[in-house]
Amino acid sequence: MKKTASKTTKILLAVVLIALPVLTAFFCLAAGRYPLSVADVWGSMPQVLSGEMADNTAKIVGTMRLPRILLAMIVGAGLSVAGTAFQSLFGNPLATPDTLGVASGAGFGAAVGILLGQSLIGVQLTALLMGFLAVAITYLIGRGKSEGMTSVVLGGMVVSSLFSALISLVKFVADTDSQLPAITYWLMGSLSAANYKTLLMGLPFILIGCLSLYLIRWRMNILPLSDDEARSTGTALKELRILTIVASTMITAASVSMCGLVSWVGLLIPHICRMMFGSDTRKLVPASMSLGAVFMILMDTAARSMTEAEIPVSILTAIIGAPVFISLLRKTGGFKL
Amino acid sequence: MKFTVENGCFSYPTGREVLKNIDFELHSGELAAILGPNGAGKTTMLRCMLGFLSWKSGKSALDGEDIRKWSRQKLWQKVAYVPQAKNAAHSMRVFDMVLLGRGSHFGMLSQPGKKDIEKADEAMERLGITALRDRSCDRISGGELQMVLIARALAAEPELLVLDEPESNLDFKNQLIILDILSELANEGMACLFNTHYPAHALRRAHKSLLLSKTGEHLFGATEEVITEENIAKYFGVEAVIGQFETKSRILPDVIPIRIIDDTAKTEKAEDMTKKTAVLAVIMQGNGQAEKLNAVLHEHASLVVGRFGMPFRETGEAIITLTLNGTAREIDMLQAKILRIPGAAAKAVYADEL
Repeated sequence: MKKTASKTTKILLAVVLIALPVLTAFFCLAAGRYPLSVADVWGSMPQVLSGEMADNTAKIVGTMRLPRILLAMIVGAGLSVAGTAFQSLFGNPLATPDTLGVASGAGFGAAVGILLGQSLIGVQLTALLMGFLAVAITYLIGRGKSEGMTSVVLGGMVVSSLFSALISLVKFVADTDSQLPAITYWLMGSLSAANYKTLLMGLPFILIGCLSLYLIRWRMNILPLSDDEARSTGTALKELRILTIVASTMITAASVSMCGLVSWVGLLIPHICRMMFGSDTRKLVPASMSLGAVFMILMDTAARSMTEAEIPVSILTAIIGAPVFISLLRKTGGFKL
Repeated sequence: MKFTVENGCFSYPTGREVLKNIDFELHSGELAAILGPNGAGKTTMLRCMLGFLSWKSGKSALDGEDIRKWSRQKLWQKVAYVPQAKNAAHSMRVFDMVLLGRGSHFGMLSQPGKKDIEKADEAMERLGITALRDRSCDRISGGELQMVLIARALAAEPELLVLDEPESNLDFKNQLIILDILSELANEGMACLFNTHYPAHALRRAHKSLLLSKTGEHLFGATEEVITEENIAKYFGVEAVIGQFETKSRILPDVIPIRIIDDTAKTEKAEDMTKKTAVLAVIMQGNGQAEKLNAVLHEHASLVVGRFGMPFRETGEAIITLTLNGTAREIDMLQAKILRIPGAAAKAVYADEL
């Protein structure tokens, strides 16, 4: 009796987790400075999906809002699940997708790209590469010296601050009229540049990263255990750790390369999920993907529709995220790994 | 199943040689204890044995094959490890924690299936912790957590169970629960190996003992021969007496430390070699235990002068009276061995000295 009941709840939960971001995306297509009704959006769908957008509604939905919402969805899902993975990996609730310095590295790459006057795609590419490079350096610093992940985390801190300093250096030498504002704005994070081309370049990394983390969703439970314990479960611990790092790095570097530094998502959503679903990563991984996507779509929709000018999305995620987080923390007493 | 260590040596990078030329052997159905003072390398020994640390020279072998040659999955399907409970403070649900023990039965990218969930539930039921199923691991007592970790190990259905100080930091009752489980598992045919700070636990439970000293010496053999007053003085630097407590059904050995000795070069006591006649009364409960008794008696056939056995069907007990002739020490050893069979009660009466 009990077993069938738990199976039904499982299926129900899966349906809700899939439906939630899809429905949110659909309703947010209607929101914006150019008001559309949900019916308008629904009506324009055939045109959007066929690629031939004749009327204005279809153009707005198809070329402006849809890529942006897709981007928000995938970045939100990716950063959240990467945060979840890193918190398990380091056995530390304070870990974020940026713990190993990937975001600072990618930020530096983007800043250099802008400084060199590259195109949007060029900036995206240098950001991606520098993100990977930063994590590679971190891993080389930290590997093999001690048991557990402490030295890797320390390596991440060093690399992070190194690249932050390098970003400042780039800002210092950048042209104050055009380049400096561009770099600053970019670092604040914005999804306004979203189009299908940028999506195509970043999306595969995030999808592969998410898929990898989804596949190891049960094994991730082993990560916070001590080294000996983890090995005694017959797990290839080193390979599992590297897979987790590579997958999370792909997600974060691709996210930063497409929309700059979006803070808070990778910390806030995993925490909310742990408070709601407990610490079994089998549930946490899909849950954080789903809620991360929903959260990011909502934040970005607010960022583009609240005022005439765009509000950088990082400011919103922090301003809205922090109070939500605090109230949750007060209610549940937080979580331990 | 046979687990061996052949000529195992280990030293830390700082150069201190901790373990020297260790030979060790454990078979299915045997319970072994590792003893030694703090810093003698008990945990290091376990870690080397299981391959968490590499032997500097020598090897650990399972069924004759070096464990480094075993595939990771195959090895950890046969061997399970229970770490010290004090290090584990996760908020993981108890059931999820136990399920982790199944990790060696499927691939990295796979999810636990129906059978894995059943095995995890079985392991919890076996240890009587089903009621804890949905509790969080950081909200249960130390004794309960130790049970959870043992359940996790049992979920892997191992042939060799290795435990790092399973009864440390536990109260009286919980110590007894853990030790009873180990005896039961060994009786059912599992090989069990545990580190302990209590010589008395080894004397009462373990068939074999490995004694380690701080200077890199070691002694391995049958517990009765290893855990003696002389060896405790030599390896722990403590003068201790090994005594016996009588209850209605059995005699329990105990070790009581008396004082610290600085000079370990104490003269050894001469052993009393006079042969005595004794009657050992044994009552066995449960089926199949008679065979275990026969095996023990077979080993000590030279002591047995006469033997009388009868079943008592009403209670399902078997009553065996043995007439023995040997030195007091030999008879004590036989009695200790019989007492280690679960469900056996035994007591010896010696002939009066002439």
